[in-house]
Amino acid sequence: MTDQVAEMGYAAERRGLSTKHREWLAGYLFVLPDALGLFVFLGVPMVLSLVIGFFEVDGFGSYRFVGLANYARMMKDPLFWSSAKVTALYAIMLVPLLYVFGLGLALLVQKTNRFNAVMRSMFFAPHIVSLVVVALVWQLMAVDKIGVLSRALSALGLTGVSLLGNPSFALVAVVAVSLWFLMGYYMLIFLGGLQDIPAQYYEAAEIDGAGPLQRFWHITLPLLKPTSFFVLMVSMVAAVAGAQAFDIIYVMTKGGPANATSVLILYIYQQAFGFGAFGYAAAMASILVITLMLLTAVLFLLTRGGRFEHE
Amino acid sequence: MTDSFSKNANQGAGLSRRKLLAGGAALTAGGLTGFPFINRMALRAQDAPLQFWQFYAPGGQVAPQVEWFEKAIADWNDGHEQKIELVYVPNSEYINGTKLATSFASGTGPDIFIISPGDFLRYYNGGVLHDLTPFIDEAARADFPESVIANRMVDGKIYGIPMEVEPMAMYYSIKAFEEAGLNENDVPKTWEELLEVAQKLTTPERYGVLFETTPGYYQNFTWYPFLWQGGGEFQTVDGKSAFDSPATVQALKFWQDAINSGAAPRQVLGNGANDATANLGSGYCAMQNVGIWAISQLTNNAPDVPFGVFRLPTPPNGKYVTVGGGWAFVANAKGKNPDAAAEFCAWALASMEQDSIDRVVTWCTKAKSDMPPRNSALQAGGDAFNQGIMGVFSKEIHPGTRAEPRVPPEVYKIISDAIQQTQLGGADPQATATAASQQLDAFLASYSGAPIL
Repeated sequence: MTDQVAEMGYAAERRGLSTKHREWLAGYLFVLPDALGLFVFLGVPMVLSLVIGFFEVDGFGSYRFVGLANYARMMKDPLFWSSAKVTALYAIMLVPLLYVFGLGLALLVQKTNRFNAVMRSMFFAPHIVSLVVVALVWQLMAVDKIGVLSRALSALGLTGVSLLGNPSFALVAVVAVSLWFLMGYYMLIFLGGLQDIPAQYYEAAEIDGAGPLQRFWHITLPLLKPTSFFVLMVSMVAAVAGAQAFDIIYVMTKGGPANATSVLILYIYQQAFGFGAFGYAAAMASILVITLMLLTAVLFLLTRGGRFEHE
Repeated sequence: MTDSFSKNANQGAGLSRRKLLAGGAALTAGGLTGFPFINRMALRAQDAPLQFWQFYAPGGQVAPQVEWFEKAIADWNDGHEQKIELVYVPNSEYINGTKLATSFASGTGPDIFIISPGDFLRYYNGGVLHDLTPFIDEAARADFPESVIANRMVDGKIYGIPMEVEPMAMYYSIKAFEEAGLNENDVPKTWEELLEVAQKLTTPERYGVLFETTPGYYQNFTWYPFLWQGGGEFQTVDGKSAFDSPATVQALKFWQDAINSGAAPRQVLGNGANDATANLGSGYCAMQNVGIWAISQLTNNAPDVPFGVFRLPTPPNGKYVTVGGGWAFVANAKGKNPDAAAEFCAWALASMEQDSIDRVVTWCTKAKSDMPPRNSALQAGGDAFNQGIMGVFSKEIHPGTRAEPRVPPEVYKIISDAIQQTQLGGADPQATATAASQQLDAFLASYSGAPIL
């Protein structure tokens, strides 16, 4: 072994690289495939999207530079603003609910035993089902008059309620399905955070006479700060541009009724693939990404990136 | 393990880490650059078959439909040097999905494909529709009634050959009528009567009447006749908006009243209101606004549900009119061999050869239940077009057919939003029509493509 190390050092010296530099090089080479993937499949399309936003693109190979015209059109497009409003409402409802339900479920199944293991699996199960299947099943359950949910509402005296066909309820219904689909995932993240909290803190607090609520407010919640930051950030991105924000709505309502569930990501899709306005869609996508980056930055500043006070 | 790995790495023998990385990088580079190029080259090879994209896939709802496509292609390939192959694209990925759009955006659109009038302008204005006129005899051209072919023409040239005419009508469940103590004499003739009968047919488990509620091209298509029946149009002859009219308000209000009365659902089942099996066939509704294709849907998929049809009721002082949709064969002007693709379209659907006429008859009578787009096919079909429910269509419903409008996506969206806001959003029909009309005017003033019809 000693001989081999000596041989390696000799070989490295021969190539003019110190051990430190070789380690450095190896590290970057290992990261290279992933970085290449991100660059090719995310970086390049993002830059192209930004560039295409300055062109009028008809979807048949015609590109015409129009400067900021797509952005000017956006400012005057009532559907862009109504979609932005729907997106904001969707996120304002979904993100806190995901936080509360994710954490709540994690607390419920925190202790390791067989029953909790089964419950964890059940809570996480929706997340492994195809989004299209999720949307179709819930759509069927919410069908007017004959769906399971409609019948249940009728039994409670709420006849004639159309969960997906009434603009007043449709977005709430979509948020509920999104919550059902996503909460198991956030439960898992919170479980990881909870397991990082040393048990001694709870034992000491209990000896000092702290009740369950006090332990939650003064130990659990503060020590979950890094996890909370991650959950809030990821759920916010998911609410604005996540797969579920598109798939569930596309299958369940197509943005209807009366554009009540037309989130921005769906409107961008319609403009690009339905209407062939790729330039306009790219401009909207750029604004969406910039808005998300700004929101993330604000969240980062407000929570100090999820770091504790003493860090 | 560490030792042996280190040894191998430094001795340069076997698969070293460096070699592995270098090989991986080479493979990645090859994958990113070479293979797509090679594949594309293969696809672009001159002797490669032309691709014909459509959505009648094997295992689809009606077996004779895919068989018709397969036979047409087999017959063509038997007698022509330029071969053609069918490519099935699921309907949801076709016009309203990403596949067709991205294929044209990347310059790899299909050589032959099918489109409806609602999509015509987008593809024509994009410059991808090949002129089919030189490949169609004058006699064959005259065989297509003006009302059928006009919305596939620009400046006297034909860019699409219709394979069918699909007029809209009202279907009703005979069983539901009987349960409500009604019979065929109670079939409604006016909008008012339709809502009254729908109320009688409504039960805790069933809606009386069903109109499309999902936003999309199809919903607009089904709403147009109600606009036209009161004398309404969405544009004037000089290209300005005509949407702010009493006829528009009346049509918007009619659909809104149907929902507000509780006789019509806010949601539809299955693939949408064009799916008679999932809605009328399942008992979800007693009457359904759907097209002629529902005959084959119900006959094949709901044989135990007896049904009847009647023509669309009319408003006070209104005139009967319905809308006729239908898909058309088109050739890609930027495809591998546009002339051969155009020749195929004409050979398949627009030749005076008996095979071509029979092909249209078979499609409209055996594969689907449609009215034929050609006079010769109507004659050749004979009794098939005159008996039973098809007979009701050809004698009572089809004569009032007006072609589906061809509109750019922007116009579609303005009209769609107006329908949705009033039908499901409860908006005031007059205010909605006025606002939509202003948006239409703003768009029409800047529109520069082929005429909107």
